[in-house]
Amino acid sequence: MIQIQQVSKTYDRGRSFAVQRVDLEVGVGELLVLLGDSGCGKTTLLKMINRLVEPTRGRILVEDRDVSRVNPVALRRGIGYVFQGVGLFPHMTVAENVAVVPRLLNWEPAACRDRVDELLRLTGLSPRTHRDRKPDELSGGQRQRVGLARALAARPRIMLMDEPFGALDPITRDGLQREFKRLQQALNLTVVMVTHDMTEALLLADRIAVMKQGVLVGTGTPRQILRNPSHPYIAALMETPRRQADQVESMLRSGGEGQ
Amino acid sequence: MTESALADQLRLLPDYLGHHLTLTLVALSSGIAVCLPLAILVTRVKSLQWPVLTVASVAQTIPGLALLALMVPLLGRIGFLPAFIALLLYSMLPILRNTVTGILGVAPDILEAAEGLGMTSRQRLFRVELPLAAPVIIAGIRTATVWVVGSATLSTPVGATSLGNYIFSGLQTQNSTAVLVGCAAAAVLAIVLDQLIRLGELAVAGRSRTKGWLAGAGLLVMLLSTVILQIPTAKGSAVVVVGAKPFTEQYVLAEAIAQRLTQAGLRAENRSSMGSMILFDALTDGHVDCYVDYSGTIWANVMKRQDLPPRRDLLEQMKAWLQREHQVRVLAALGFENNYGLAVPRHKAEALKLASIRDLTGHAPQMTIGADFEFFVRPEWTALRDAYRLDFRERRTFDPSLMYAAAREGVVDVISAYTTDGRIIEYDLAVLSDPLQALPPYDAVLVLSPAAARRAELVRALEVFDGSIDDKTMRAANKRVDVDGESPAQAARFLLKAVGLSSPG
Ligand SMILES: Nc1ncnc2c1ncn2[C@@H]1O[C@H](COP(=O)(O)OP(=O)(O)O)[C@@H](O)[C@H]1O
Ligand SMILES: [Mg+2]
Repeated sequence: MIQIQQVSKTYDRGRSFAVQRVDLEVGVGELLVLLGDSGCGKTTLLKMINRLVEPTRGRILVEDRDVSRVNPVALRRGIGYVFQGVGLFPHMTVAENVAVVPRLLNWEPAACRDRVDELLRLTGLSPRTHRDRKPDELSGGQRQRVGLARALAARPRIMLMDEPFGALDPITRDGLQREFKRLQQALNLTVVMVTHDMTEALLLADRIAVMKQGVLVGTGTPRQILRNPSHPYIAALMETPRRQADQVESMLRSGGEGQ
Repeated sequence: MTESALADQLRLLPDYLGHHLTLTLVALSSGIAVCLPLAILVTRVKSLQWPVLTVASVAQTIPGLALLALMVPLLGRIGFLPAFIALLLYSMLPILRNTVTGILGVAPDILEAAEGLGMTSRQRLFRVELPLAAPVIIAGIRTATVWVVGSATLSTPVGATSLGNYIFSGLQTQNSTAVLVGCAAAAVLAIVLDQLIRLGELAVAGRSRTKGWLAGAGLLVMLLSTVILQIPTAKGSAVVVVGAKPFTEQYVLAEAIAQRLTQAGLRAENRSSMGSMILFDALTDGHVDCYVDYSGTIWANVMKRQDLPPRRDLLEQMKAWLQREHQVRVLAALGFENNYGLAVPRHKAEALKLASIRDLTGHAPQMTIGADFEFFVRPEWTALRDAYRLDFRERRTFDPSLMYAAAREGVVDVISAYTTDGRIIEYDLAVLSDPLQALPPYDAVLVLSPAAARRAELVRALEVFDGSIDDKTMRAANKRVDVDGESPAQAARFLLKAVGLSSPG
C-alpha cells in the first residue's frame, strides 16, 4: 500500500539529515507504528507520505503510484491525517471541522450531516451535545476524538497519525486506543502511526519501525522486537517498559508497596 | 449662540453631510477594495511586504492637510478627485497593516492542518485564513473609518464640500456655532459608521440574524442618505458654483451672490475656503462659476506685472487681459477696494510718529511684522520691501482671523491688514499710507467663468452688483461677522439690504 524507498530529507542543504535513506513498506490493513525519541524524524517521514514535506532524495509510492507525480491536493484528500497537536479550526464548530474534507469533495449537505453524526458516535461523542460546539468548548480528549473523526470523514483507506493519543490521561488514552484498534480492523485501514510511547507501540502495532536520528534501525512485530531486538538501541528502548512491567509484577506478587 | 445663528448653520447640514458621507464611503470602500487584495498579495510574496507597508506608512505620516494640498498639483484638478485620492491613501495603512498582521498571525499548525486535509491555497485563504484574521481586519477597517471621516473635513480647502466647510469658515469668521456644528456632525458620523461595522462583525461572529439585518439596514440608510441629501444640490449644469477665498469678506460676498442668485430663481452652491490660486484655476476650468477677486491680486499674481498704472487703467487692462487670455469675464467692479496695507496700533503710530510706510523704514530692524500665510510669498511684499527698504527683525505668519488680535495685543508691531476689515476700526489700528505706490489698488471684481459668462439669466442677476458696494458698507458687513459674531449669511442679508438689492418682503 505504501512503499518508502531510499528516502532522505535535509532541511539545511545536507548539513544534517532529519530522515536518512529509509526503506519501509506498509501492507494493506496493516498498522505500522513509527517509534523513536522526539526529534528523530518521525513526523518528517510521515509528512513526506502525503507531500506536506518533499523528500530530498528517494521515492514514495502510495497504492503503487509515485506521490511526486500525483496532485498533492487530491492525494491529501484521499489520506486521513491526524495532526500532532490536533489542529482543529478554531472558528468552525465540531460538525464543520469534521465535514471539512467531505465538503472539499463536494458531498451533498445531507450526506455531510449524516456522516458527521455517524463519526461523532463512532468516536464516542454525542452528536446532539457536541455537534455545534467550538473546539475551545471541548476537553483535550474530546478534541483528539474530533481530530480522529475529521481524519476518517471522507472514508480514506490510509490514515497517517502523528501522536494521536498524546496529551491524554492514561484511562482516556487506553479507551480511545482500544476503540481505534477495533475500528482500524473493522475498516481494514492502512495506518502509519507515530509515537514515542513504547507501551502504545507494543499494544497497537502490527509492526513497529524504530528510528534513531533519522535512520531506521530496525523493524519487526511487537513480539520480535521484545524477544530479540536486532539493534542495541532497540534493546535499550525496550528496557524501560520491561523494567516497569517487572516492577509492577513483583509488587503484585509480594503484596506490598514499593521494593 | 442665537437660535437663528444655529438655524443658519443647520440649513447647510444636508448639503455638507451628504458630500461628506459620499466622500467618506467612496474613499473607504475603495480603500478596502484596494487594500484587501494588496495585503493578501503581500502575505504571499514576502519581498513585497516591506515596500508596500513603508509606502503606506509614509502616506500616513504626511499631515492630512498637506496630503490633500499635494494632490491638487499632482492631479491638476480640484474638488472630489484629489480629496478622494488623498483619503484613499489615508485609509490604506490601517487596513493593509491589520490584514497582513491578521493573516500572518494564523497559527502555523492550523495552516498545516488546512494544507494536510487537501485544501488548495485559495480554499485555505477563504475558509481558514480570512475568517480567522477577520477580527483584526475589521479592527483595521474601523480605525480607517474614523480616520477618514475626520480627515475628510480637510478636503474643504481643495474644493470638495465636506463638514470641513463648517470648520474652516467658522474659524475664519470666528463663528463658534459653525465650528461646533461641523465637529459634532463629524464625530457623530464617525461613531455611527464605526458602530455599524461593529454590529456587522458581531452579526457574523455570533451568526445573529437580527444584528445582521440591523447592520445591513443601517448601511443601506447611509447609502440612501448620500443620494437623498444631495438631491437639492444635484442639479447638473443648472447649479451656479460660487467660490470664496478663506476670509470673512469673501464668505459674506459669496453668500450675498448666492442669495441674489436664489432671488433670481437660480440655484447656487457655495464652494468656500479655497486657496486663492486654486480658486482662479478652478474658475478657468469651470469648476467654479463665479467669485470675487481683487484687481491688484490678479495684476501681480496672475498677470505677473510689476508696473503700476493708475487704478482705472489697471482695471481696464486687467479686464481685457482676462477676456483675451482666459475668456474670463469681469462682470462687475463692486465699487470698493480692499487694499493690502501695513497697519500699526494707533498709540504706537502716534508714539513713533508713523504716518506712512516710509516712516517705518528706520524702525523696522527693531520690529516684528505679522501677515497671513500668503503675504510674504506674494509679489506685493517683494515690491513693498524693495521700495521702502524694509528689513524687519522678525516675520511671523498668522491665520487672518488671529492677525489683528496679534497686533492689538502687541505680539507683533506691524501687520499686513486688509483695509476693509472691520477689526481695523474695532482694534484701533492705523493704516500707513503708501506714498511710493508700491502696492497696487485692489478693486473688488466679480469674475465669471467662460461658461457662466454665456448664461444670460446669470449675468442679469449679478450685473446689478456693479458699483453697488462702497468701502464703508463692506467694512460694516465684515465687522458684523468678525466683531459682532453674526454668520456670513446674516451679514450678507444686511449687505444686500444696505445696497438695495434684497427682494421685497
Ligand atoms: N520545517 C523544518 N525546518 C527545519 N528543521 C526541521 C523542520 N521540521 C523538522 N525539523 C528538524 O528535523 C528533525 C526531525 O524532526 P521531526 O520529524 O519533527 O521529529 P519527530 O517528529 O521525530 O519529533 C529535528 O531535528 C527537527 O528540528
Ligand atoms: Mg513529531
